[in-house]
Amino acid sequence: MAILPVSAERLIEQFGPHKNYPSPEGYPGRDEPDKVVKTHCCFCGMQCGIQLLVKNNQIVGFEPWEEFPFNQGRLCPKGVQRYLQNNHPDRLLHPLERVEGEGFRPATWDRAMERTTSEIRRIQQKYGPHSFAMLSGVSLTNEKSYLVGKFARVALKTKNLDYNGRLCMVSAGAGNKKAFGLDRASNNFTDLVHAEVIIICGTNVSETFPTLTHWIWQARDNGAKLIVVDPRLTPIARTADLHLPIRPGRDSALYGAMLHQLVENDWLDHEFIKNHTSGFDQSIEAVKGYDLDWAERTTGIAKEKIQLAAEWWGKAKTSFLLHARGIEHQSKGVENVSACINLVLATGRIGKPYCGYATITGQGNGQGGREHGHKCDQLPGNRDIENMEHRQYISQVWGISEPEMPGKGLTAYEILEAIHRGEIKGLLSICFNPLVSLPNSNMVREALEKLEFYACIDFFLNETARHADIVLAGSLHEEEDGTVTTAEGRVVRIRECITPPGEARTDTSILLELAKRLGEEKRFTYPNNEAIFNELRVASKGGTADYFGITYEKIEKNMGIFWPCPSLDHPGTPRLWEDHQFKTADKKAHFQSVPYREPAEITDAEYPIILTTGRVVSQYLSGTQTRRIGKLVDQYPEPLLEIHPHLAAKYNIRDRDLVRVVTRRGSAEFPAQLVETIREDTIFIPYHWPGRKSANQLTSGHLDPVSKIPEFKVSAARLEPVGRQAPPASQTDAYASA
Amino acid sequence: MVTLGLIASVIVGSRNLQNFDGALVAYLFGTIFACFGIVYRYVVWLQRPPTWRYWVRGWQLFFSGKMLIYGWELAKHFFNDFLCQKFIYHRGTKRWIAHLSLVIGCVMAFAVTIPLTWGWIHFGLKQGTIDTYEAYLWGFKTMEFPLHTWIAFNIFHILDWCSVLVIIGVTFMMRRRLTDAGQIAIQTFEGDWLPLILLLAISVTGLGLTWDYEFMQGKAHQFMAISHAISVILFLIWLPFGKFFHLFQRPAQLGVAIYRKEGEIGEQAICPHTEQPFASKLHINDLKEVTKELGFNYELQDGTSHLDLSPQGKRAALAKAHLAARKKSGSYFG
Amino acid sequence: MNNTQFKTDQEFFMDPQRCIGCHACEMACAECETNGQTPMISVDYVDRFATTQTSVQICMHCEDPVCAKACPADAITKDEFGIVHSANVARCVACSNCVLACPFGVPKKVEPMQLMMKCNMCYDRTSAGKKPMCATVCPSGALWYGKREDIEKARPNSTAVNSFQFGKQAVKTKVNIMMPKGSTQLVVD
Repeated sequence: MAILPVSAERLIEQFGPHKNYPSPEGYPGRDEPDKVVKTHCCFCGMQCGIQLLVKNNQIVGFEPWEEFPFNQGRLCPKGVQRYLQNNHPDRLLHPLERVEGEGFRPATWDRAMERTTSEIRRIQQKYGPHSFAMLSGVSLTNEKSYLVGKFARVALKTKNLDYNGRLCMVSAGAGNKKAFGLDRASNNFTDLVHAEVIIICGTNVSETFPTLTHWIWQARDNGAKLIVVDPRLTPIARTADLHLPIRPGRDSALYGAMLHQLVENDWLDHEFIKNHTSGFDQSIEAVKGYDLDWAERTTGIAKEKIQLAAEWWGKAKTSFLLHARGIEHQSKGVENVSACINLVLATGRIGKPYCGYATITGQGNGQGGREHGHKCDQLPGNRDIENMEHRQYISQVWGISEPEMPGKGLTAYEILEAIHRGEIKGLLSICFNPLVSLPNSNMVREALEKLEFYACIDFFLNETARHADIVLAGSLHEEEDGTVTTAEGRVVRIRECITPPGEARTDTSILLELAKRLGEEKRFTYPNNEAIFNELRVASKGGTADYFGITYEKIEKNMGIFWPCPSLDHPGTPRLWEDHQFKTADKKAHFQSVPYREPAEITDAEYPIILTTGRVVSQYLSGTQTRRIGKLVDQYPEPLLEIHPHLAAKYNIRDRDLVRVVTRRGSAEFPAQLVETIREDTIFIPYHWPGRKSANQLTSGHLDPVSKIPEFKVSAARLEPVGRQAPPASQTDAYASA
Repeated sequence: MVTLGLIASVIVGSRNLQNFDGALVAYLFGTIFACFGIVYRYVVWLQRPPTWRYWVRGWQLFFSGKMLIYGWELAKHFFNDFLCQKFIYHRGTKRWIAHLSLVIGCVMAFAVTIPLTWGWIHFGLKQGTIDTYEAYLWGFKTMEFPLHTWIAFNIFHILDWCSVLVIIGVTFMMRRRLTDAGQIAIQTFEGDWLPLILLLAISVTGLGLTWDYEFMQGKAHQFMAISHAISVILFLIWLPFGKFFHLFQRPAQLGVAIYRKEGEIGEQAICPHTEQPFASKLHINDLKEVTKELGFNYELQDGTSHLDLSPQGKRAALAKAHLAARKKSGSYFG
Repeated sequence: MNNTQFKTDQEFFMDPQRCIGCHACEMACAECETNGQTPMISVDYVDRFATTQTSVQICMHCEDPVCAKACPADAITKDEFGIVHSANVARCVACSNCVLACPFGVPKKVEPMQLMMKCNMCYDRTSAGKKPMCATVCPSGALWYGKREDIEKARPNSTAVNSFQFGKQAVKTKVNIMMPKGSTQLVVD
């Protein structure tokens, strides 16, 4: 509601981010823990296995879990440091209530709940049920994701529920559904090991999914050729057999040109195309003119390299194509994904050992979270909220009548736009920090200031939550039982290691209590989280993401089960499509026609440089968690503007000069880092930081027409050297920038 | 030689053994042996090329005419490192408390017992009084104090206070050695436990002596006296060999301090890789010679030395050489 | 020392070209009990201007450790398993000789503690039969600990080498570096 109750600086002083370091001697009790709990990392979609050491209801350290098959003990620095969220001085220990001019003061749970539910009622009575929106996130377990979906539709009765997966892999999901009728990585990562050619498109694996590197390295040890498509020479691209430094936003041109080459040279699997696909002719028709010269002009990649990539891909017997946010965060994200899938289908290399295709889902439960219903157009089991049959089934599981089920709502960015327009008046959020993670953050801030009521569930006071009227102190990953589904489609167990400290409560109990106070106790009573999972199993039954045959016990025994798993005696499905029976209506895989189109914002005289954004290895997404862990902050303390020395020379920019970057949305200043590892026409800024240090002040809100993912990866920008050197990073405290 | 000197000083200090306390003769031989051992060990130690280099450099610098600068530097280090033991504080507060208790306890105990043993100090009733004690140092009267006062009580019980301090320190340290997994992994019995056990034994038996004559009317005097003597003599014999030798090595830290000060004033070595200063030129040049004396030659083809690189520069050099080797083989990866 | 379970059939192998510069090893090293939150590994950009290449360096545990020889205080020792241990805390006078003499740039002086510290191959873990922390977590196999036959099988294009040449000085180490097939030595000059 309205602007911040006090200055951001004062809120930062009280609620952080503060950096947490272990004491030089480590936490006491690490040598003799009360228990060692096998669980998973709370961060990315790899969901690495890890053992947490618990002493006196606190996490005091970790021990690698070498038996877990995906990572076998391997971790990235975030995984190693994840345990420091526990024992953190910024941890919210009780509900908070906004006090004008003072900040936040502790409130009783009763008061916080009462206030929240009465405001929900007031706003919905005054402006209608959909004027109250809910935003969620996929660091939540399957149980919580499912519960949020049910809560919003049944208790809150709003259609406007969406989630931060909208900023993650929705383009991949949409592309997969179009091509295969199902949204999941077609293969698990063990299929990388004997792939002859691996193409990774728009994914900085070495920094965003470090533990996946091992599987790619294994393939290379076995002779695989690695092709990396990235505007920057990322650590994984450095030693690659072929690096295609693509101009941001031109991806579908590259894959179109490669498809064209496959056709020209007849590197096609005609038998597979004929028997198991549809739409091939239209798809090649769409790329007819995409010869190598055109591709070079469009993508900025030397044509010899494109040809070589096509040849390697065309002639390979086994292969694996991986992509991630680089191609998905675009206003043609779905088209880019479809163009990649076309390459896979044209060579028929899917549904067989070492023939793979997958998006590398970004968030911890990016996979499971997008299957079970906190997406605005979706119901559990990856069902469609506009499909009458699906609506009826889920209504029956939830014990409501079908007409009571709200319809399709707005997507995440659109919800903020609707708030900005004054159409949505109230907001409840959990596990989402849109002020940092959404594009065009100036608009997002203005929107938050217009809300009549905002309640936020979180364990830290994240940047967005500073705008809240009520903050409900929720739980960390290690404080609740549940399951998540990894990027591979493997459902794994998250274990409760400790109980929430102080008066903080589990997210689940908060949602259940809210539902109760909204008069829906009957439909929101569960003895434990496993009971929620069991309801999810039933809700997903018969859907494409079928979890019915998965139980806690089965997961624990097998260290994960791959869905679909339709019955209790089913072993799960690590590799899809072995029967070539796709989940589309005609059981065939669908080629898509992908004629090339430009990104939404192209460079011009006023904004001549392409700005792209991404991540660094030591930070995770909006940084609510990782900007509070001292060593992770220190590893990469402030966002730097990566710029090629040739481009820098044009503006007389030297290393660590402060440079103002201006786009049509706003401007921000960053120290320059001169590197030859980036394209000359492109600059890069990582986005994990808030306030004045946020790259998302600059990014655009252009959305993909199908997936509604924002185009984080391509903006037109101009540079204005400030004319002085940046102060040392230690002085700017970017991690807590206001 | 030093040992003979010591014996002579004992004779002189105790006025021809006049003031020598016969009961302490076993201790005397212990200290004489320890002295011999320490000096021998010290000399062997000094003969190591790097040690000798520091030793010589230290004195050279000290007498180089900048005595004021170095004197001040030494005073600072003496205060910080020896009196306050700040560097141990930075290793951990509990370790600091433990070590400081141990140091104060031991140093005070030495200050009392060694002169007593050597007959340098003795006490006697002031002639013509029955309640005033006199203390003599090297046979000269240095102070007198009345009996049955807190001063007297504390002087007579000073070793008990030392024991208490030592026991506090040892307890902290033993606890750490029992619970800290890192310590458990690398500790040895003779290197880490034996010194603590000896200190504990000395302190407990020493306290036992007091306990015995205060509360047990001397019934266990013989046992206490013998066990105390044994533990002290074992300690003295172990002094030159085990962990306790660091008492004599530690002052080298002061030499290092001077050396570093000189390095800071002088020319700096600039790493060709990082282009940053990383050590003093003096140190790098000395090290080139010392490593040569030790049989290591890091001269490169171009006449420069691998030691001209900073640690970071050396790591980069290795990574680059490895990259070059990979590149030559046709693939960056393998 | 409590070294009854040290696995002599397991060795350390490093491959700097596999390093992705993530610093997981460094963070994990600080969780190791023997060095208490001070990481003993160094990960640096080699030359960030030109490349994303990173160097990663653990102690190579020389057969004839110059750090120990150059120590004026006799504080560094090598044990029967070939592990060159961190400085003896009682003896180290923080002179930095070892820091500057080590050809691999490994030992670190921790200034406030007036102490040199270096990697002892996670002695608390290896002596208990476990793998070192860094090699366990390394996501890219730049640091690897295990049986020689296993890595030879897993990385058929590489040879493990433990011989280095720094100018005129040959150095043999306990830790191996993975080199192109058929190599016998890494020459650094």
